[in-house]
Amino acid sequence: MTAPAIQIEKVSAGYRETRVLKDLSLTVAEGEMVGILGPNGAGKSTLFKVLSGLLPPRSGTVRLFGQDVRRLPPAERARTVAVVPQDLDIPVPYTVEEVVMMGRTVSIGRLSRPTAHDHQVVERALVYTDVADIRHRPLNELSGGERQRAIVAMALAQEPRIVLMDEATSHLDINHRLEIMQLVERLNAEGGMTVLMISHDLQLAAEFSRRLILLDHGSLVADGKPAEVLTEEGVRRVYHCDVRVHQDSETGGLSILAPPRLPAVCAGKGIRIHVVAGGGCGEEVMRRLALCGYSLSSGVLNRGDLDTTVAEALGADTSLEQPFSPVSREALGSARELALKADAVVLAPVPFGTGNLVNLDLLEAARATGRPVFIAGGIEDRDFTPARDAVRRVRALIAGGATPWNDVAELLTLLPKGVKSA
Amino acid sequence: MTHRRAFWLVMILAPVLLALCVLMGPSGIGFPDWTTQREILILRITRVLAGLIIGAALSCSGVVLQAILRNPLAEPYVLGVSSGAGLGATLAILTGLGAASAFALPLCAFVMAVLTLFLVYALANQGSTPSLYSLILSGVIVSSVCSSLIMFMVSVAPVEGMHSILWWMLGNLEVTSDALLATTGVLALLGILGMWLLAPELNALTLGQDMAHHLGIRVKAAMGSGLLLATLVTAASVGVGGLIGFVGLIVPHSLRSLVGPDHRRLIPAAALGGGAFLAVCDAIARTVLSVEIPVGVVTALIGGPFFLVLLRRRRRHGWTE
Repeated sequence: MTAPAIQIEKVSAGYRETRVLKDLSLTVAEGEMVGILGPNGAGKSTLFKVLSGLLPPRSGTVRLFGQDVRRLPPAERARTVAVVPQDLDIPVPYTVEEVVMMGRTVSIGRLSRPTAHDHQVVERALVYTDVADIRHRPLNELSGGERQRAIVAMALAQEPRIVLMDEATSHLDINHRLEIMQLVERLNAEGGMTVLMISHDLQLAAEFSRRLILLDHGSLVADGKPAEVLTEEGVRRVYHCDVRVHQDSETGGLSILAPPRLPAVCAGKGIRIHVVAGGGCGEEVMRRLALCGYSLSSGVLNRGDLDTTVAEALGADTSLEQPFSPVSREALGSARELALKADAVVLAPVPFGTGNLVNLDLLEAARATGRPVFIAGGIEDRDFTPARDAVRRVRALIAGGATPWNDVAELLTLLPKGVKSA
Repeated sequence: MTHRRAFWLVMILAPVLLALCVLMGPSGIGFPDWTTQREILILRITRVLAGLIIGAALSCSGVVLQAILRNPLAEPYVLGVSSGAGLGATLAILTGLGAASAFALPLCAFVMAVLTLFLVYALANQGSTPSLYSLILSGVIVSSVCSSLIMFMVSVAPVEGMHSILWWMLGNLEVTSDALLATTGVLALLGILGMWLLAPELNALTLGQDMAHHLGIRVKAAMGSGLLLATLVTAASVGVGGLIGFVGLIVPHSLRSLVGPDHRRLIPAAALGGGAFLAVCDAIARTVLSVEIPVGVVTALIGGPFFLVLLRRRRRHGWTE
């Protein structure tokens, strides 16, 4: 029985106070080609650092071909796993050939010269990556694409069984990006090399991986074939962005279309939205709405609240209450005026207690006058009133025609659009 | 000219230069007569040997520190070794210990220099591999504290003590004891040999600590032994020759642009080239004026402009940014 190429069990890892990977478990068989996706900060690069033995996990084990990566002797580790970083800053003028030969560092003895085999491996790597003709040029004089190909060649010269590509092609032009990916695909298919690649290019990842792993906040969100992982719903949940996924009926290939730039800058021009927020939960909603050109009002907010700062910075009309005080009759009255001046009212994912429960009056008033009302989902987790009044009233609102929303990208598709100005 | 050819050129030219230096001295240019001027000849050979040993030590330390710290401004004194050694030497001179034996002052300087490195390393090291920036920063800080202590002691010292301290700080190659020179020579030779053996690690470390790790280098051990070797060798040479500046900065840069950045070639080339450079500077210091100029002044006067020319030319070939 052969051990899987990569076996991660319940790994937590991070830096100082922050825990980036949380109880992550993952198995990759030898010869797989896996794309690792996820938004910035999802833990993709940290996963690679743990896999390459650079970062010791706080708990859990990382095994490469059955051996704990932290116990692997460095030379053995270098023959097992190679890493291609996004870019490599080399301060001294090594030539391409010298750098690629450094991939053989552990194979060449301290006192001996490179053997014929070392030269042969380096030669093949140079040719494969199309840098043989620039082998004598210093690396720091090359273009980004040439340099990146040389770095890929260095990784190949290690003759690794696993290659970790950390956004390795993101600096390359479209031609060389495809070329490098095809090269990696070929090494994977013919040499049985296990490849993990981090990419922000969903299309590229879908095209070259037979398996995709989606990470978010240090945990595994989805793992499977590209078509199973890259669903419109899944992408929206993790990336907070609307995409269209189209599967070609003949080839089965996926094409991922960028969002049709729906939140156009002037989409909300001339439309006024009242946002019920508080405690910082309305920050993203207000920012995105303002970016789309909507006029904003907000309230009732407490002075000194993060949402108050944001609303005022965005030029929204506000109705304010003293810090840490329950909403007064006067403040509620002026907020009601603002809400009834607006074309629609949005409820941000704000937690409710007895102090701000009356803010729901504003939504009910708007609904009663036929204005569209949009309510952030998950009220059940945010209701801290003793009698669960918020849940009851929100459900009544939805029953009465208010629209629920889950993320801002979705909300933007639901809101009324402004008249197209010439 | 290829790097390989330049390497052999340096390896052949440097010994020739060293030999020529023996012909120069305050008593005139030419080969001293073996029967009548034997003392002069021996004196000159000793001076040239001192130049070779100290120049080689400082240049190779500079090469190693530039590789490990990935910083073009790194030189043997960057981690506070010079100020530490200076503090040791000042203490030895002012307590009168230095007059006791030829070994006393160098030993004091050596011990203080090594202690300084450990202090700097301990300050920068917090559990994992020390970051390059905290190493350089703690080096600068420890260095200025040591300098202040030296200044304090100098300011309250008697006049003749001040003169010895100043002369020592400017650096000179007048070695009073053959045994001391031999000891330093053996230390420098062993240290440089150790650095040369570290060449694969140094090559990988110039790609950054992460990449070196991926290439199978034991990063922490390689950095630790590199820093330790560089400090030992620097401390030994500073103990003998005082604070000779510029050699450890310009020789590594000049030779890197000549023989290339591969440390397997760069270290031997820096050893011989740096040794020859310092010996030539010393020959000039002894010859041009009727009084001897401190060799540190000559290295800076020759090295500075030479380095600037190189810097302009090298924008294409050398250390970028």
